[in-house]
Amino acid sequence: MSLQKLTAEIEKKAEDEASRIIEIARQEAQKIVAEANVRAASLKDERARTVERELGARERAELAIARMEGKGGLLRVRSEWAKRVVEEVEKRIAKMAENGGHEYNELLCDLIIEGITAMNGAKFVVEATSRDSRAISNDLGTLAERAGKIKNGRVSLQTKTLNTKTLGGVVVSTEDRVQYFNNTLEARLSAASRNLEGVISKILFGANQKNE
Amino acid sequence: MSTDVKELQELIDRERVAEEKIKKAKQEAQVIVKQAHEKAETILGSIDSDPRWEELKRARTDEITHKKAEMEEEYKRKISVLEKSAQENFSKAVDRLYQQTLRGKL
Repeated sequence: MSLQKLTAEIEKKAEDEASRIIEIARQEAQKIVAEANVRAASLKDERARTVERELGARERAELAIARMEGKGGLLRVRSEWAKRVVEEVEKRIAKMAENGGHEYNELLCDLIIEGITAMNGAKFVVEATSRDSRAISNDLGTLAERAGKIKNGRVSLQTKTLNTKTLGGVVVSTEDRVQYFNNTLEARLSAASRNLEGVISKILFGANQKNE
Repeated sequence: MSTDVKELQELIDRERVAEEKIKKAKQEAQVIVKQAHEKAETILGSIDSDPRWEELKRARTDEITHKKAEMEEEYKRKISVLEKSAQENFSKAVDRLYQQTLRGKL
């Protein structure tokens, strides 16, 4: 082989080798960048899911608190109005008891009979305010007669003044004080409020309470 | 110098040039790969600093605030309906409880 051919061969081989090295490097570089892009896309997806999960949790928590506060507000309104109703009834009862009169005296008699009917025995003590005790004393005979018809026997009654302050009504007890029936107006109002809680709510709020 | 020796010397020189060319190609290849690694690092490093996350957070925060405000408004409206209904039916409720307190079986 001539020198010229030999040098041309050396140059060509060097050129080919250099091109091959550069080509391999370029392919390697493309692969590195492509893998980085794939990894970046995956990390972005993961990051997006994490951010969305965090924000979703925050949204649920904040809305749950807002809902709780809202429901608390509704409950407060309902409770306040129920309280106002009881307060108003208490005022009315106090006024009615204070005014006395035939209607109130009849009520006292009914409350006494209710207490006697609920307990065993034939001798009873009726306690009321001094004002009411005086009114009851006037009807004691009629009351004993009514009670006797219910008990199918003779019933004896005595009145006493209550030591505690009350709007009105009576506390009926057996003479031996073993049984007693609290029929004061406060006790009745308290029981009625408890028993009618749902009914009063329905009257006040009607169908609206279903939309809460 | 004889012709043979001169030719041999020239061949050695050519060979050295060829080696140098390959050496340079290898150096260039290293630079290409290094740049690719740097680019990959930049791609991966840009994920955290991507402004889209802040935009996404801001958008979702606004959405949450909006939903909360809507919910608060809804409860305000419900409270207003309850208040109105209670005002209208207050005396009926008082009468019912009054009657039950005085005459009802408890």
